[in-house]
Amino acid sequence: MTRSGARPVAHHIEVRGLSRTFRTTVRRPGFGGALRSLVNPERVAKHAVSGITFDVAPGELLALLGPNGAGKSTTIKMLTGILTPTSGVARVAGVVPYEDRQRNARNIGAVFGQRTQLWWDLPVRESFSILRDIYEVPRAEHATRLKEFDDLLELSSFWDTRVRHLSLGQRVRCDLAAALLHDPQVVFLDEPTIGMDVVVKEQVREFLRHQVEERGRTVLLTTHDMTEVERLAERVVLINHGRLVLDGTLDEIRRTFGSTWQVRVTPADPHTEVAPLPGIALLRREGPQAVFGPEGPGAPTVHQALKQIVERYELTDLAIDEADLEDVMRAAYVQAGPGADEV
Amino acid sequence: MAVLHAWRAARVTPLGELHSPPRVTAALLRLTVQVVLVASLWRGLYAATGTTGGLGRDQTVTYAVLAVLASRLRELDQYTGRDTVMQHMHYGTIVYWYLRPLPPQRYYALRSLGERLYGLAWALAGYAVCLPAGVVEPPGSAAVAGVFALSLLLGQWVLHYVMLVIDQLCFWTLRNGAALLILVFAQNLLSGVYAPLWFFPHWFVTMSGFLPFQATLSVPLSLYVGRIPLSEAGVQLAVQAAWVVALALFTRLLWRRAARRVISQGG
Amino acid sequence: MSMNALRVVWRITRLNFRAQLEYRAEFLMMIAIGAVWQVSVIVFATVLLTRFSGMGGWDSSDVLLIPATRMMAHGLFVLLLGRVHGLGRHIQEGKIDAYLLRPLPVHRQVQLDSFPTNAIGDLAVAAGLLAGALGRSHLDWTAGRVTYLIAAILGGMLLEAALFTAVASASLRFPAADYWGNWLEELLGTFGSYPLNVLPKAVGGLLTYGLPLAFVAYFPAAVLTGHGTGAPYWLAAGSPLVGVLAYLGARLLWRWSLRHYTGVNG
Repeated sequence: MTRSGARPVAHHIEVRGLSRTFRTTVRRPGFGGALRSLVNPERVAKHAVSGITFDVAPGELLALLGPNGAGKSTTIKMLTGILTPTSGVARVAGVVPYEDRQRNARNIGAVFGQRTQLWWDLPVRESFSILRDIYEVPRAEHATRLKEFDDLLELSSFWDTRVRHLSLGQRVRCDLAAALLHDPQVVFLDEPTIGMDVVVKEQVREFLRHQVEERGRTVLLTTHDMTEVERLAERVVLINHGRLVLDGTLDEIRRTFGSTWQVRVTPADPHTEVAPLPGIALLRREGPQAVFGPEGPGAPTVHQALKQIVERYELTDLAIDEADLEDVMRAAYVQAGPGADEV
Repeated sequence: MAVLHAWRAARVTPLGELHSPPRVTAALLRLTVQVVLVASLWRGLYAATGTTGGLGRDQTVTYAVLAVLASRLRELDQYTGRDTVMQHMHYGTIVYWYLRPLPPQRYYALRSLGERLYGLAWALAGYAVCLPAGVVEPPGSAAVAGVFALSLLLGQWVLHYVMLVIDQLCFWTLRNGAALLILVFAQNLLSGVYAPLWFFPHWFVTMSGFLPFQATLSVPLSLYVGRIPLSEAGVQLAVQAAWVVALALFTRLLWRRAARRVISQGG
Repeated sequence: MSMNALRVVWRITRLNFRAQLEYRAEFLMMIAIGAVWQVSVIVFATVLLTRFSGMGGWDSSDVLLIPATRMMAHGLFVLLLGRVHGLGRHIQEGKIDAYLLRPLPVHRQVQLDSFPTNAIGDLAVAAGLLAGALGRSHLDWTAGRVTYLIAAILGGMLLEAALFTAVASASLRFPAADYWGNWLEELLGTFGSYPLNVLPKAVGGLLTYGLPLAFVAYFPAAVLTGHGTGAPYWLAAGSPLVGVLAYLGARLLWRWSLRHYTGVNG
């Protein structure tokens, strides 16, 4: 194995009070304003990330969530060593990425959305060979890993094609493989499945699950696809305005930001007066149907609520809607305030 | 292992070319037409003139044709490979250069070396055709040939740094496509690709003496055609070597500043 | 173009010019580089003319008209129609697909892509060179000659635009066509400024009937100064018209290619 330079650590990613401030030029409006900005630009500070702290354990997949411009990409750039923080410390596999970029580079793999690291004019397999030699991966090991990736991502049907002729789904699969060819312990994926069709998305998720569960890699993922979060992440970190809003499981997010369930009932007698129950609110009436939801901190679980409702009313029909994660996230983003511009 | 990645990075450009045969055919056609045009132009111009600027007809034709062959590299369509600094800045893929254990400056140097060797293969093939065809004259003596080879090597080295500086500018100005074209034109003009510098007014020659461009092509070609005698070769080679050292230091500084810029802006 | 269309063009051009100002370093650098460019071009254009006075039977005051006409035409081309050059790269980025969605002709949107700051430098040099050429000229500049010169410059601009539009049409289908565009620019730059009769007949013919470079500046200048060209007089004198026809043809080709455009990368 070529896991160079890394010692066993309790956390693969350690982030302590990480902050990043950008100085940008403000554009004055109008034609005269543009000319004035040319001579005397006005600069302001913008806090992209302020005082974020979290950890990721070895073999854990963490989803970093937040609205556009929340500071996700800035965080990832600091963890990959491309960006130096204004203050705070980050450690990835025991290395401070922005201080020892090259050593960090051997420990990590990264895919930035639709930006490809493959050589545009060459067949994909040539790109793999170049990376193999850059990362000094032994040939046999390279071949084995390529075989593994091919089995999961079906690369061999197109890896002799030049990158310029690949479809988006094919290219991102190749980029994923390229990022993992040197067997990195930590993998950063910034919106890896953006723009892909459902079949390819599922294939990529399967691949990521395999890399986490079978290979024990640590993955930090940003995405706006909530299905992906539900399928992959046990733990999420939610940031907004560059601040950490929540660090916990999906269930915790649901509890904090969303009514976790809704029960829709049709009483046998349409003239029944439907009323709220203890800890259960009547959310709305929809024709003959009534919709209940949890109320207050002492709300019952969906099973307890069902029991209460069935005991209280005679029903012809009953359905449970769990609020989907997108609704929960919308609530979370709105509660945490409107997002700043993408950085 | 270091040799392996060097080999891989160096062969990116030639491999890309060989994977698209139409490009190779196009390059061959362009090179042929360009040689014919340039040779006939200078022969035509000399029809009514004897020696001018210290160059006779055959010297000038030889100089001009060799300039076309030597700058074959310039005609490579660098942009199709999407591996220029400018494109990486544009597509945001420059971050990957800084995410690998291979330093960007070494990767760039290896790519450049590969391109130059590929260009040399073309130039040698062209020379092997033009020499027996009588388009270019052979070098005056074995000593001239040797000095020329050394000077050409140094010139290509200087050229590498000049092109590097132009590319490095892209770290600071994002969309400088037009500016690049103009700089490349200036580099071609001042290095004597379009016309031997000997034809230019005196002040122009003096001015270009202070710039690195003439060291790239004008000096080796002038040595070849005998416009610079062997007795002055030592001085010229020393000047070329000095440029190599100066530009090496300057581009190193720029790389460091570029890295700092990427790291402070996030690519 | 209707009044409204003109208004749209004007407003977008203003916005584009402001966009150029946004990139402070680049804008200032373009101006600095423009100075280098000006010196280079003037030196290059005059160097050969003084070294090889009497080339092709032209004296140096006459021959200066060729680069002056050619550069003026080129400057106007860059200013007004130049965005067709290097279009292949934009096509690869899928820009055409976006243009096709908007209720404006695609060709106009291509031209409105950005403001060509460098055209300012080009035109400044060209105007200087033209003034110099006219100042040295021994010709009697009658209204007829001046009109013909203006027509020739416009014709040269259209001819150059036609050539690059043809390349752009090709790059709708073949991304590599940009390569030929770059070569075309180099050929125009290096061979557009001499009397082509210094070249062997076959080569000169190639640059007349193969790549119609002679019509840009050489033929009009020959007609103005009364030099023979080897081509029939009516053809040489009709150069401005050749430019117009070539441009109309190129636009037809562009329209045809656009209809057969199938997008990039599926």
